[in-house]
Amino acid sequence: MTPAATSSSRAGAPVLSIRDLRVEFALRRGVLTAIDGVSFDIGRGEVLGVVGESGAGKSVTGAAIIGLVDPPGRIVGGEIRLGGERIDGLSEEAMRAVRGCRIGMIFQDPLTSLNPLFSVGDQLVETMRSHLDLSAAEARRKALALLLEVGIPAAEERFGAYPHEFSGGMRQRVVIALALCAEPELVIADEPTTALDVSVQAQILSLIKRLCRDRGTAVMLVTHDMGVVANTADRVAVMYAGRLAEVGPVSDLIDEPFHPYAVGLMGAIPSLDQDTSRLVQIPGAMPRLSAIPDGCAFHPRCRRAFDPCAALRPPLVAKEGRQVACHLYGEEGGEEEGEEGGDAEGDARGAAP
Amino acid sequence: MSAKPAVEVRGVGREFDVSRPWLTRVLAGEPRRTLRAVEDVTFAIERARTFGLVGESGSGKTTVARMVVGLLRPTAGSVRIGGVSFADPGDAAARQSLRRRIHMVFQDPYASLNPRWRIERIIAEPIRAFGLAHSGEAVAERVDELLALVGLHAGDRYRFPHEFSGGQRQRIAIARALASSAELIVCDEPTSALDVSVQAQILNLMRDLQDRFDLTYLLISHDLAVIRHMADRIAVMYLGRVVEIGDGRQLFRAPRHPYTRMLLEAVPDVSTRGRPDAEIAGEIPSPIDPPPGCAFHPRCPLAFDRCRRESPPLVDGVACHAAHDGSAAD
Repeated sequence: MTPAATSSSRAGAPVLSIRDLRVEFALRRGVLTAIDGVSFDIGRGEVLGVVGESGAGKSVTGAAIIGLVDPPGRIVGGEIRLGGERIDGLSEEAMRAVRGCRIGMIFQDPLTSLNPLFSVGDQLVETMRSHLDLSAAEARRKALALLLEVGIPAAEERFGAYPHEFSGGMRQRVVIALALCAEPELVIADEPTTALDVSVQAQILSLIKRLCRDRGTAVMLVTHDMGVVANTADRVAVMYAGRLAEVGPVSDLIDEPFHPYAVGLMGAIPSLDQDTSRLVQIPGAMPRLSAIPDGCAFHPRCRRAFDPCAALRPPLVAKEGRQVACHLYGEEGGEEEGEEGGDAEGDARGAAP
Repeated sequence: MSAKPAVEVRGVGREFDVSRPWLTRVLAGEPRRTLRAVEDVTFAIERARTFGLVGESGSGKTTVARMVVGLLRPTAGSVRIGGVSFADPGDAAARQSLRRRIHMVFQDPYASLNPRWRIERIIAEPIRAFGLAHSGEAVAERVDELLALVGLHAGDRYRFPHEFSGGQRQRIAIARALASSAELIVCDEPTSALDVSVQAQILNLMRDLQDRFDLTYLLISHDLAVIRHMADRIAVMYLGRVVEIGDGRQLFRAPRHPYTRMLLEAVPDVSTRGRPDAEIAGEIPSPIDPPPGCAFHPRCPLAFDRCRRESPPLVDGVACHAAHDGSAAD
């Protein structure tokens, strides 16, 4: 564990804290805002599920945290703190030390995150030695232990195997081992199981959950699958058009979502134990980034839209232990909480173990 | 024809030759190798019903679908649609009309539409190919009607596929299926590439069209919740075989095959939150070298001696020795 992580956990501060993040892509035909005022925290050992449909800005949020927003995109506002230190705007070199060491990453396609020319063992040893001060023999011992821990059978024999010799599920286990090998404080998992079959998906999800709980690692789980979030995450953030629609504990949000978009999203999912002849339909589609409506971005598709929705953008306000950005819940939250940054912090502290 | 099921698949199997090239094989003295993608699959679909095929990747769902629409010839067994088979010699007219009555909707709406054609031409192609309308006006009228049916605007006919979102493209693919007045639509993962809210729109549309035109669907998906929502009858496939088949509700309420149970436990679902993580081991084995006996036995918690030796037949809707003996009751 790095000193920063130890001190932050003692203070009970969140591992990751994002405030008012704004990411823009400056194109010739205009500036597109991919992330617009997103704020959230993740505590130690907590899994935050970030859900939304394609184009909602989930992956860009992840990329912004690790400083890998593809140009012409850039962070134009807000701050990202890891263990209390600001990590947005670090130099490329300083950021490289943070990535891999303090933030581990798991992506959708395990083949693209592994180097096909190096054996799995070598990749683990190399990653460990570049971030931690270890001798080759020590690193090898740790790598073997890690492979066993992520459930690779006969790790000793498979240490020298190449990525193509593993199945999809086994590859994803190797990627998890790689992400955790430098003992990061935060793991960003971007659609980690989308390319896998359900039975393998269940194995991988419970592995991520178990390892992170044991180590106290914070996890940001980006996914489009509500079912995955329901079974894995502690809290959920629902994103729409680059903004947060609702943030709250997973069970509350799934049982009784507040935001009309979250309501629609939950109703649209076919469930295994409910008989419905029709699914709830949200009319229309997510707006393009070049044409995000004024006011609330969801109002043209919202059944409950009223006067202020088209003109005023609803702030993220606290309501019953959750935060929601909708004018339907505006009044009460607005009076109680003056400023949204403050209640976001209080919320995260309450939810963190 | 009304008494007969719309689709009858009987004892269908398909092998693929995966041997190395002839010369290499002969020089190395290797035998031919075959991959049994599908083995002895039997089911029937009633008219105006939805039949769901579910299984993990490599279970042979798509191969079955391709054999049903006639894109692949089965190496064993027969597929009859409305009593007619593609393999029947003679009667070319019946086979021709069969082609008109079947249509397939593919998973990837980006790859299944010709990017150089306008929507009008894409939808009109089956109408022209099967000679369903004779004058230009009649074709145009029909295209208008189809666009309205799937919830697109008449003005969309002059646009190209790239101008549409994934969900809209899937609507176009459905319009094309309706253009030839198809009776059977085989949908291979129709919503896997779509977002949930769009998936809901497409599934609702498919239901509405079924009610309206008495369509028969063969729906293939790895998503159990989608299958559960749509299908009247369901077959669960594992490594090329049907392991369980039955009424949709029943199968989900009381799964009998250990593999079906495992799948249901593995699915992350919003309604199963908070349950303990299922203990699931292993992955689907390679179909080139399947385990002897029951293909599922290496992963099965109920496996006993017989499972390692004999492949269980599909009796009474389930292919499992333990279920047949009654030892899988709880």
